[in-house]
Amino acid sequence: MTRSLDPSRGATRRDLLRGAGGALGLAGLSPLLHADGRAGLPHHAPKAKRIVYLFQSGGPSQHDLFDHKPLLIERNGEQLPDSVRQGQRLTGMSGNQTSLPLAGTQFEFARHGECGAWVSELLPHTANIVDKLCFVRSMYTEAINHDPAVTFFMTGAQIAGRPSAGAWIDYGLGSLNRDLPAFCVLVTKNKGGQPLYARLWGAGFLSAQHQGVQLRAGKDPVLYLKDPEGLPAGLRERSVEALRRLHEAQLEREGDPALRARIEQWALAHRMQSSVPEVCDLSDEPEETFELYGEDARDPGTYAANCLLARRLLERDVRCVQLFHKGWDQHGGLPNAIRTQCRETDQASAALVLDLERRGLLEDTLVVWGGEFGRTNYSQGKLTANDYGRDHHPRCWTIWMAGAGVRQGFTHGATDELGYNIVEDPVHVHDLNATLLHQLGIDHERLTYLYQGRHFRLTDVHGRVVEELLA
Amino acid sequence: MAIGLLVWAAGLTPQEPVDFSREIRPLLSDRCFICHGPDEEAREADLRLDLRAGATADLGGEAAVVPGKPEESLLMRRVRHERPRRLMPPPRSKLSLSEEEIALLERWIAEGADYEEHWAFVRPERPTVPEVEDAGWARDDLDRFVLARLEAAGRAPAPEAGRATWLRRVHFDLSGLPPTPEELDAFLADDAPDAYGRVVDGLLASTRYGERLASDWLDAARYAETYGYQSDVGMRVWPWRDWVIGAFNEDLRWDDFVTWQLAGDLLEEPTHDQRLATAFNRLHRQTNEGGSTEEEYRVEYVADRVHTFGTAFLGLTMECARCHDHKYDPISQEEYYRLFAFFDDIDESGLYSHFTNAVPTPTLWLPDAQQEQSLGELGARVAEREAALAAAREEALAGLAAWLAEQPERLEVAGRTAAFDFDAALEGALPNAIAEGPAGKMGGGVELVEGRGGKALRLDGDGGVSFPGVGAFTRNDPFTIALRMRPTRATERAVVFHRSRAWTDAGSRGYQLLLEDGELSASLIHFWPGNALRVRALEPLPLDRWSHVAFVYDGSSRAAGLELWVDGVRIETEVVRDALTRTILGGGDLNLTIGERFRDRGFAGGEVDDLEVFDRRLTAGELAVLAARSEESLAEAPNVAPAELEPAAQRELFLATGAPGVTTQLQELKAARVAQAAVVGRVPEIMTMAALAEPRRAFFLERGSYLEPSHEVWPGTPESVLPFPEGAPPDRLGLARWLTAPENPLFGRVTVNRFWQLVFGTGLVSSSENFGSQGAEPVQRELLDYLTHELRDDGWSVKRLLRRLVLSATYRQSSRASAELLERDPDNLLLARGPVRPLSAEQLRDNALYLGELLVEKVGGPSVRPYQPPGLWHEKSGARYQEDKGEGLWRRSLYTYWKRTSPPPSMVIFDATKRDVCVVRRQRTTSPLQALALWNDPQQVEAARGLAQRVLRADLDDVARLGSLFRWCTSRAPEAAELEALGDLLASAREAFAADAEATTAYLAVGTREPEASLDPPELAAWAVVAGALFASDSTVTLR
Repeated sequence: MTRSLDPSRGATRRDLLRGAGGALGLAGLSPLLHADGRAGLPHHAPKAKRIVYLFQSGGPSQHDLFDHKPLLIERNGEQLPDSVRQGQRLTGMSGNQTSLPLAGTQFEFARHGECGAWVSELLPHTANIVDKLCFVRSMYTEAINHDPAVTFFMTGAQIAGRPSAGAWIDYGLGSLNRDLPAFCVLVTKNKGGQPLYARLWGAGFLSAQHQGVQLRAGKDPVLYLKDPEGLPAGLRERSVEALRRLHEAQLEREGDPALRARIEQWALAHRMQSSVPEVCDLSDEPEETFELYGEDARDPGTYAANCLLARRLLERDVRCVQLFHKGWDQHGGLPNAIRTQCRETDQASAALVLDLERRGLLEDTLVVWGGEFGRTNYSQGKLTANDYGRDHHPRCWTIWMAGAGVRQGFTHGATDELGYNIVEDPVHVHDLNATLLHQLGIDHERLTYLYQGRHFRLTDVHGRVVEELLA
Repeated sequence: MAIGLLVWAAGLTPQEPVDFSREIRPLLSDRCFICHGPDEEAREADLRLDLRAGATADLGGEAAVVPGKPEESLLMRRVRHERPRRLMPPPRSKLSLSEEEIALLERWIAEGADYEEHWAFVRPERPTVPEVEDAGWARDDLDRFVLARLEAAGRAPAPEAGRATWLRRVHFDLSGLPPTPEELDAFLADDAPDAYGRVVDGLLASTRYGERLASDWLDAARYAETYGYQSDVGMRVWPWRDWVIGAFNEDLRWDDFVTWQLAGDLLEEPTHDQRLATAFNRLHRQTNEGGSTEEEYRVEYVADRVHTFGTAFLGLTMECARCHDHKYDPISQEEYYRLFAFFDDIDESGLYSHFTNAVPTPTLWLPDAQQEQSLGELGARVAEREAALAAAREEALAGLAAWLAEQPERLEVAGRTAAFDFDAALEGALPNAIAEGPAGKMGGGVELVEGRGGKALRLDGDGGVSFPGVGAFTRNDPFTIALRMRPTRATERAVVFHRSRAWTDAGSRGYQLLLEDGELSASLIHFWPGNALRVRALEPLPLDRWSHVAFVYDGSSRAAGLELWVDGVRIETEVVRDALTRTILGGGDLNLTIGERFRDRGFAGGEVDDLEVFDRRLTAGELAVLAARSEESLAEAPNVAPAELEPAAQRELFLATGAPGVTTQLQELKAARVAQAAVVGRVPEIMTMAALAEPRRAFFLERGSYLEPSHEVWPGTPESVLPFPEGAPPDRLGLARWLTAPENPLFGRVTVNRFWQLVFGTGLVSSSENFGSQGAEPVQRELLDYLTHELRDDGWSVKRLLRRLVLSATYRQSSRASAELLERDPDNLLLARGPVRPLSAEQLRDNALYLGELLVEKVGGPSVRPYQPPGLWHEKSGARYQEDKGEGLWRRSLYTYWKRTSPPPSMVIFDATKRDVCVVRRQRTTSPLQALALWNDPQQVEAARGLAQRVLRADLDDVARLGSLFRWCTSRAPEAAELEALGDLLASAREAFAADAEATTAYLAVGTREPEASLDPPELAAWAVVAGALFASDSTVTLR
């Protein structure tokens, strides 16, 4: 028995029939079906109980936010030297440009906090909390286009069909609460930009119960949560009660223990009909909350409101909360577009860290902020006095983390003077994922799932826990 | 490992020898093969344990396995080693062996360490039907295999399920819908000995059967209505789905069903359906994301075909062998790429078009009957006009001499529609020498420099010159574009001029003149590469020298009608593509542009002068005149008289400009082509396979990367499964022959397993996607092999196979099991009871629609968009979901529009696959989201109201009515406790609705079907609530 069967969450028929120790049931008949890739969890004492991932979809420009390069500004307009590019592939969007002019940022940078981390003027609120953050300036990935890169970041593979990180975590650790899904997904409403796909929070080949449940702004925060129009008050409860009685009778009749799961799951569904609206209803938040997160937080579905909702979910012990904010894909007109993005996200991101901290949740909640890749140091399209664009750049970018045992006021890794290549401490996507799992008490090499004859992992056959990031 | 239970299950005593296949190979495979298996590259210490020769090989005085002597076997020492550094498996591998497992290995070595080849790679023998004690139980020989196994384990089968239970099972399994109470009554009253058989025959004869079976096949085919990846544009592939339904209904032999899908295009004189079937190989995801590398994704698509082939037909996981030799199964990376070479044989692009809606090539046309007729007539008419033109040319030649005599001294080149000498620019506008003709527009980075007589354009590769209103030719228009150009750099690719929106982002739709490795290349393109014309010069155009170049096209849609002329001489070209059948317009930019194209490589460093556009195909004499013209001015032509030309040039010039009869015929031919093109433009297409005449060269890709081709590979199959038959064609048809050959050990078994899984819920090999060494061992292997032979001998008839399965005593068993049996055999591998399965997502929804009298039974056609919570598409990609009205809301679920990046929640909540990749086994979960969907999805609420109306129409008391309702939903009568629970709910609901008229109206308005006006609204609402509860009850949603 490696993991208690949590009655409050979904379960497969197989789980149920096996129950405690049931895995022995037919071991001799087909031993491999029963190899449990969750044996021994947690593998070590976890630092994080929960994780919140503020995913900035599209690839925020590290050059304009975090990775300060005076030389790049100085050499603005010069051609990207071949000695720097080293023949690395570019996308078809700028790869055929005859001219690749270096584009220094147009935004002011300053050092902040005691740690002296560089942050641009675009992120004043983030700048205020740098002493709580751990920056990684040396992220790199393998994909150069959005779809494969986001899929890689979220699932550890560029191709579709693998479980998302949240699903892996849920599969490995299960739920901490009885009334809410263990893995919740919040997408900023009404954002243009690169599309998202349900597989980014899907369960892949894991049991579907591990997929993220999207909480959406509006009447039905979870699909089909709300009773049909006109259903009189109290009748759902009667109906659920009748179903329970039908199921008890059926259990009596058929003797199938899977019915117990159905009874539990149907009861949880009913509880969710009140617990989810309750968590989504911000009316009990004091005025001061909105001062902290910003006025946008009053408008459900905005990034700020989602950050606040994330805090409420984490408070209620939702294990994994994943935010998606689109719109960082600035191939052209970057200076204007990035201002908007920062205005929408800066204050609330910082507020979430502060809010978790003052509620004592930050010490066991891991916060991650970042996108799927970085952006080029040269301009895609024309570089003019006040405008430029940047193409995708998988070779380096910056993310930050906070809470749950990661170092504070710390910067890891470095890029060259033009911000094109990593020169110190590269951190691969697999390394980051290995580190996140590590903080949650999971050895990324031991959390596996047997599918198509292979023991799959979030980190494939790669990944290294980046100890240097840990306090 | 729980040996005791194994012994119990297998009916063996502890003294029986260890079974290598069942007990040892899985262990070695799982814990050892990763370093000591088939993968040569990864092999450690030169030891391979997947072969006996390897395990017993001399390793410098000792051996890993010394048969009969565990104490001398290195393997035993290492798996028990005390020092972690020496322990096997090494602790860093995170693999380990339990004490029981080590003891099992020890016993196996002590017993002589026998190996057996992995069962699935050995051709199945036809087993003898076993003798059984309780011979009367068996209804089919297949039952004897099941019973023999049970008797050996000292168990008896479960009692027969009630007739109603069987009828419900078989209805869902073969039609996807439940029996009606009338059907139940009729069957219960039918004592004839063939009553069961007649039911099955009726179900197999209904078109519902094809829909039910197709619904299952769509998972394997990763069928969807959109391309997937991020933009996830729609693709029109439902005609393939309709072919599948028809094929099942006609009971197309399974070997043909598979052969057609794999290689229908390669069959002799393939029929329309045989070619349509090959769309199976094109249903994988495709991308059009800007900036993607075309070859990277083309390789991805081919790989997906290989993986789908492996999973769906062989039950093998090919994915592993893409980057290295398979770790567990004897499939080398070399063999992977040999399979890859079979599927790499079509003229396709790795990117579909963003700016146009071209169907990615190759395609099959799907004209309706009227279009078919029109196409025939119009084709004949074009041929007629072509013949008439040829005749008119012959006839006209008689007038050549007279015409020549009348010609002036100076040859005038007619038909010029635009001309630019680039000698001056005014605020970026380049004047047109044609009076009132539109000016050209100079983009950034373009300079005017000293050229040939006056100025010329100098291009930087990023900026260009566009000519609004110039050059919007169709493929039926003859035209000529001439210019002077001077390339100064040797580049791989340079766009000289084009009329198109983009390169790969538009499938290159339009026409273009490029320099490819310095050689002129002219194209007219609908979708590159499969629907286009291209000719390419054999020699490069000289660098640093002005050449006069002309792109000359005759409007024929043939490569022969596309010419390149340099300095007044037609140059030799090779035909790269000659398959243009559709429009070259579209994509959003109709202007001629020089020097650059969106996300393409421009004419960097090139100079261009004297651009002229003509709305005719110019002839030799005229082109010579243009080329030889003085440098000074476009207007000033050299003084050449037609009479001075070569005779051939005279003739062409005369026919083109001086023979009214020919001109008339040309116009008529064009009119016929335009009429034909208009119809063609409306004929839908579907992506299919069409093998290239000249096979593409396929390469071994190091680490699976498109960037690292190493050596060339030729089509071939994994040796360990079955060598490729000598003399078979080295193409997909040969592959299909190999697959369906009687010697193939996998295909028949995988097929039987698929249909066993369909009706029993779990396959005889429970890991239906993996028959390899990491897959599950079949508990009833003899039964599997027996049915495999039977299926083949019976002409691969799926209907007859299913008929046997559902009429068998095994299938007819009650699904109830004792707690002890449930614990020992939770997956029912021994088949000591009948199957228990949840209704599939499709069955669940179809059932509700059917009970609620909403289901619109219409076979086939475009997919439909039923109710879906608002905003799901929009929040991901900005796309709008346009819900259907009426009929489209209530079709069977296999017709529900499947958008890959946002699949219908009513399906995925109930464990439907995502349709991104081939999946042959669905998960079964129970989640709160399912309860919510059953309670609150308007589709369910509306359908429950429909069922309530049904039972309210009859004059019954409450108890009888509840009984009727219950029976509709579950095919059985309620028990007392069930009646009571529903009765209580009914009472509450009546009370609540009676007290609230507004709520009643609102509740009855859910959905779009009007409630029956004759029924009392609060009563209808109350009954609808009860029906809704039943829809969410286990007795409805689980098939027992």
